[in-house]
Amino acid sequence: MNKKGILIGIITSIVIISVIVVYSSSSVETENLDARTHEMISTTMGSSILGNPSAQITIVEFGDYQCHQCYNWFHNTKTTVFQNYVDTGKANFVFMDLAFLGRDSPKAAQASYCAEDQGKYWEYHNQLYNAQESQIDNGWANSERLKAFAFSLNLDMNLFDSCLDSEKYAKRVQYNIDEAKKLGATGTPTFFIIGSDGQQQKLVGAQSYSVFKQVIDSMI
Amino acid sequence: MKLVFSNIFYVALSITIFSFLLFGLFILSEYLFLEPYIVGHIQQGTEFGFVLIVILSALSALVIPMNIYRINILKKSKGKMGGSVFSSFIGSVAGACSCGPIGFAVVSTFGSVGATTLAFLTSFELPIRIGAITLLAFTYYTTVKSLKIECKVR
Repeated sequence: MNKKGILIGIITSIVIISVIVVYSSSSVETENLDARTHEMISTTMGSSILGNPSAQITIVEFGDYQCHQCYNWFHNTKTTVFQNYVDTGKANFVFMDLAFLGRDSPKAAQASYCAEDQGKYWEYHNQLYNAQESQIDNGWANSERLKAFAFSLNLDMNLFDSCLDSEKYAKRVQYNIDEAKKLGATGTPTFFIIGSDGQQQKLVGAQSYSVFKQVIDSMI
Repeated sequence: MKLVFSNIFYVALSITIFSFLLFGLFILSEYLFLEPYIVGHIQQGTEFGFVLIVILSALSALVIPMNIYRINILKKSKGKMGGSVFSSFIGSVAGACSCGPIGFAVVSTFGSVGATTLAFLTSFELPIRIGAITLLAFTYYTTVKSLKIECKVR
């Protein structure tokens, strides 16, 4: 009877401990996910937040490094939006991948996260949009060129090469693509402007600064 | 040309083709946005593409009604008509299938084959449009020439 009691006690203890361990680990994951959710959008697997993390407005861009409209927005509108809203602390910015245009698109997105491992995500992101060529998959974003971009940013090439060749961030990029599809983004660039009070506005395409200004100002 | 466009039906057809192509391509090529409100915007560096869309739409609006006139009134062959519609179509899809919803739908539906086609049409958008315009201009020239001869004979 005593032996039986001890056995039941041990089994009960194991079950309780297991439940506690499973619960605590899942709650950590949930906490991390919650930390990077902007209303309905999970940006956990996207870029780091650029700008004031507690800003009233969050701008989430879904883009492709081979998309010429993303290039146009990056070179024509982004600077003004940043000067007036991100640099002033009114808004912050997150980039997510909707890498669908060609075979080099997902690889370029993965490379950006390999650069993030060494603290140079945004430098690498900018480098890609500055180096973009008009022809998709013509080799400007193949593995060799992606490594050359990393080299020009003085990244540790052993770390970067192993990261890129092992496709370490393939699932992360795919998660972002799935997230974009879930949100109904069907092209690049697609922006979600999210206000602190839960307001959300979707902007499709490389729209002008005046549109961003009007939408953001209406949320502040 | 006067002969064709003296008929109100062909004028209406021409205006319809021009408006449909112009506004359709402006929206697909992201010169015109309908949401969150209607706004036009020409990004720096995309001015040439804008001009090509206007030329393509104008030529299509001229050439297609003239060839429909040839078929309806003069009962002539449909060869030129096919050429002009083909040029308009190719010139249109060249820029339409880029980063936008059509490109996304093509890749989602046809996978790697769709992606390769999309990459080609996007990469060579401007040369394809210039080619389509050249073909339309040539069709316009031959149509005007043949209409002169055919109408004199009648």
